[in-house]
Amino acid sequence: MHAAVVFLAQLLLAGVRSSTPVLLVLLGETLTQRVGVINLGVEGEMLVGAAGGFAITAVTGNPWLGLVAAMLAGLLLSGAHALLCLGFKVNQIASGVCVLTLGSGLSAYYGAPYVGRQIAGFANPSGFASMPALAPLLAALTPTVVIALAITPMIGVWLYKTRTGLIWRTVGESTEAARMVGIKPWRVQLAGILAGGLLAGLGGAALSVDYTRTWVEGMTAGRGLVAVGLVVVARWNPWLALPAALLFGGSEALYLRLQSLGVTVSPYLLSTLPYLIPLAVLLGSYRSARRTGGMPQELTSIFKGVQ
Amino acid sequence: MTEPSVLRRYTVPLAAGVLFVAVALAFFALNAPAPFAVFGAMVQGAYGDGFALSISLVKATPILLCALSVALPARMGLITVGAEGQLYFGALTGTGAVLGLLHAPAWELLPAMLGAALAGGALWGAVPGLLRARLSVNETIVTILLNYVAIRLVDFVVYGPWKNAANLGWPATVSFPAAAVFPAFTVHGTTVHAEFLVACAAAAALHGLVSRSRWGLSLTLLRSNRRAASIAGVNYARNAVAVMAIAGMLAGFAGIMQAADVQGRLQPDISVGYGLSGFLVAWLAGQNFLRIIPLSLLMGGLTASADALQLFAQLPFASTVVLQGLLFGSVLALNGWLRRSKA
Repeated sequence: MHAAVVFLAQLLLAGVRSSTPVLLVLLGETLTQRVGVINLGVEGEMLVGAAGGFAITAVTGNPWLGLVAAMLAGLLLSGAHALLCLGFKVNQIASGVCVLTLGSGLSAYYGAPYVGRQIAGFANPSGFASMPALAPLLAALTPTVVIALAITPMIGVWLYKTRTGLIWRTVGESTEAARMVGIKPWRVQLAGILAGGLLAGLGGAALSVDYTRTWVEGMTAGRGLVAVGLVVVARWNPWLALPAALLFGGSEALYLRLQSLGVTVSPYLLSTLPYLIPLAVLLGSYRSARRTGGMPQELTSIFKGVQ
Repeated sequence: MTEPSVLRRYTVPLAAGVLFVAVALAFFALNAPAPFAVFGAMVQGAYGDGFALSISLVKATPILLCALSVALPARMGLITVGAEGQLYFGALTGTGAVLGLLHAPAWELLPAMLGAALAGGALWGAVPGLLRARLSVNETIVTILLNYVAIRLVDFVVYGPWKNAANLGWPATVSFPAAAVFPAFTVHGTTVHAEFLVACAAAAALHGLVSRSRWGLSLTLLRSNRRAASIAGVNYARNAVAVMAIAGMLAGFAGIMQAADVQGRLQPDISVGYGLSGFLVAWLAGQNFLRIIPLSLLMGGLTASADALQLFAQLPFASTVVLQGLLFGSVLALNGWLRRSKA
């Protein structure tokens, strides 16, 4: 009984830790989709964030500078998506794949010298030595985990309770209506895309600088693309982003844990779980999303695949 | 989709080409001492002699097949990014047939291998098609997720049950028997594999089918007006599953070709992003099957020139990925700009 509780508690903590990169990207993509733009390029933005953040951390020895660099890298690359689909009115899926290609190429190219480098990451919090019972909890709450958990409710409140949040949601529902009340939709959509890029870059650094403390080419392994699907699961609602991100992170933690327990199923087979479980939930949530709505109206034409 | 005017048909590719050369030179100028020489080495490495041309053809074939597998669903408005997964799953099922018939003669082994690969690819494509048709689940997202699943399933078999024990640490199946190799011939020092001709024939056949048959018309109708299509008796679900299954077969063929001809065995890295390159080519070609052929040769040459770039200017493989992205982005922007200035 006790062992089961400990196992579940450890699983939850490990799940939250491995969900953090996905959670950050998911929050960013939620904001982007809320203004009526879908961005598959977050995978590439995450990669440049992971590579850039790791490189700056390795060079300066300061992981906080790494996070800032990662956010900048993600933001810059998302500017390419904004230029293509707002400036040149390119199909958003095609533009996203272009940004994804650029991001994976650029991160592999400029990140190559840093493969195999060691970084120290964030220092462990000291001063809590008097509370050994909480040690595993505090060890799990690394800075990026805390940042992600803190900004989730902030984005939720901002989107639903503030004036600018209302403006963003209006643009996502109808650029036409927004224009009628004097909003310039392209400005809001630009901000939505850049916010998504910033958070995707941060998510990449959460992975390379904080979680694994390594940089390997293509290390995001589809986390950004999974996040695009998880936005649907979370119904475009930042408040539901954490449980949705846990679908990926929790499955990942589960398969790593099962492996360490000596379960005889192949780890390669178990590693399909972080993709299959979100996919299964996605299928379920599509049915209910159609009943209850929740999709920003400007997105419907893209989701229906009309060219 | 309106047909472009005669003038635009030639000016757009030309302008796109000029734009790409300019962007590539700028990228080389930032990363290597002599950009023009690097560009020359790249062209030389892609098409300079028979050997380079043979390699470019080998790289162009899976890109061509994957591009076709993107362009066909696009005819009815489906956007798939799933060629990579279909390629891997087709390679997996095709390899299964080879391992079951290791000592069979070619006339038994080749059809079984091909059939299994096409069936596997078709299954991996049909699933998102079915989900799209029955549950209205966005096919783009499903195909993306299934890519990662298929790649990991190949990892599973080559590290696990199908691993050749004699390989020690190296994850791969046993070498395929000679009977599993597709025929090839050599013209003026350039080796042409049968798969390339099959892929070109598939492009021509699809072009003929879609532009001349009733079926092609119903796909166009499904894309432009699904309701009108259903009144005219065109079934959305059946067509969605069919085009996605055919798309999967094309990519699955690319997969078994990689295993049987290029690597000679199934191993984890049978594709260097061919699925993604195929997506780029399909969009660069405006989803036109015939235009896909020359663009695949271009993209295949770019991929093949990676070795030349590495040798000549110490630019790693990733530089060709950056160039693919730059090429795609500049053409997308050019097309978008022309569309806007015309409107």
